[in-house]
Amino acid sequence: MSQVTKIAAGQVLGEGDWIAFTEICRVCRIDARAVHELAALGLVSPRGSAPGEWEFPATALPRLRVVGRLMRDLGINASGAALAVELLEVQHELERRIRRLERLVAAQD
Amino acid sequence: MEYRDYYRILGVQRTANAEEVKTAYRRLARKYHPDVSKEPNAEERFKEVQEAYEVLKDPEKRAAYDQLGSEWKSGQQFRPPPDWGSGFEFGGGRTRQRAHAHAGDEAQAYAEEGFSDFFSSLFGGASPFRSATRGGGRDHHARIDIALEQAFHGTTSTLELKRPELKSDGTLEVRTHTVRVTIPSGLTEGQLIRLAGQGEPAADGGRAGDLYLEAHILPHRLYQVDGRDITLTLPVAPWEAALGASVTVPTLGGPVDMQIPAGAQSGQKLRLRGRGLPGKPPGDQYVQLKVVLPPATTAEAKAVYGEMRAKLDFNPRADLTG
Repeated sequence: MSQVTKIAAGQVLGEGDWIAFTEICRVCRIDARAVHELAALGLVSPRGSAPGEWEFPATALPRLRVVGRLMRDLGINASGAALAVELLEVQHELERRIRRLERLVAAQD
Repeated sequence: MEYRDYYRILGVQRTANAEEVKTAYRRLARKYHPDVSKEPNAEERFKEVQEAYEVLKDPEKRAAYDQLGSEWKSGQQFRPPPDWGSGFEFGGGRTRQRAHAHAGDEAQAYAEEGFSDFFSSLFGGASPFRSATRGGGRDHHARIDIALEQAFHGTTSTLELKRPELKSDGTLEVRTHTVRVTIPSGLTEGQLIRLAGQGEPAADGGRAGDLYLEAHILPHRLYQVDGRDITLTLPVAPWEAALGASVTVPTLGGPVDMQIPAGAQSGQKLRLRGRGLPGKPPGDQYVQLKVVLPPATTAEAKAVYGEMRAKLDFNPRADLTG
């Protein structure tokens, strides 16, 4: 029942990589119309002149995936999910700053 | 496998209507959604809730589930009845993939949509409720937890993927594939790794789906991570801070020598350029100094502190006096 396939090498999708529109929709499980809306809201900045040629920076993938999950799992629309993601990012940044400051305080004690 | 009481998980009566089921799901999803929740075990709870909703929101699946009867209790040993699924029209299903963690120094991976064996035996895998794949194969998603050292050096991970496959006689069979994945160095939190063609195979010879792994970096004993930058708190003696010193500092790439400038203070940050996580450009390592006082427990130590008091004209609270 079990078979070992060959070793697969992973490709990290990171800085400098651009992801095609269709792959963005697939990976983040967001439909094309919602991706349009997110681009119009300024949550992501695609390159390319026409939407058919749009490519997105791979660095936007983590936040777009959160947007996709929130839309799907909580039944909120694109602009609501975009707002939630921006607030979550602010929250995470504040938590990081608090941790940094706590370390600073600990270092000075 | 163990029976799951989906009504109990959503906290609704067996007689609840579609609207009540939806409301209960929405409330619990908002409470336990792993992207927003601070609840302990949020992820586990959320998956249970999602699985329950997957069944109860779908009239066909709910009716089939209800046919099992109301005598079952959560956790009870369960086997699907032999005539399972007969008499129903089969609608949309859901792909299923499980990735098991392996022992050793390998990264740990979890399937993102790993529903329970109970769910899979009834509605996933080879069950008649699963929809056939048309066109290309679907993508699979899994999450992978890696240690900071693994993110720095690269790592390998062994994934066990269960996939329904079409046999030559036209029936579906669940097969386990073991995939060994090499993961390059320089991963950062939340980044995706694409394994082309390692998703679901296409039923009709079309393009296989891809497998995407979402990387999460585990907390580290010494280092804090912020993107590609690393911060280490380095304890130093008062004379090292005051007079300057050359010290050996651990970094992910191995120990390096670092010069502490004379007159350094506790809390001050020094930068080791390019010693963070690899990338273009690589991150930096910040070294935050923490001056640690030697205890004054011996006569000798007390004498040294006494001498400092006598000879140094030092008032640390000079700023506080108006």
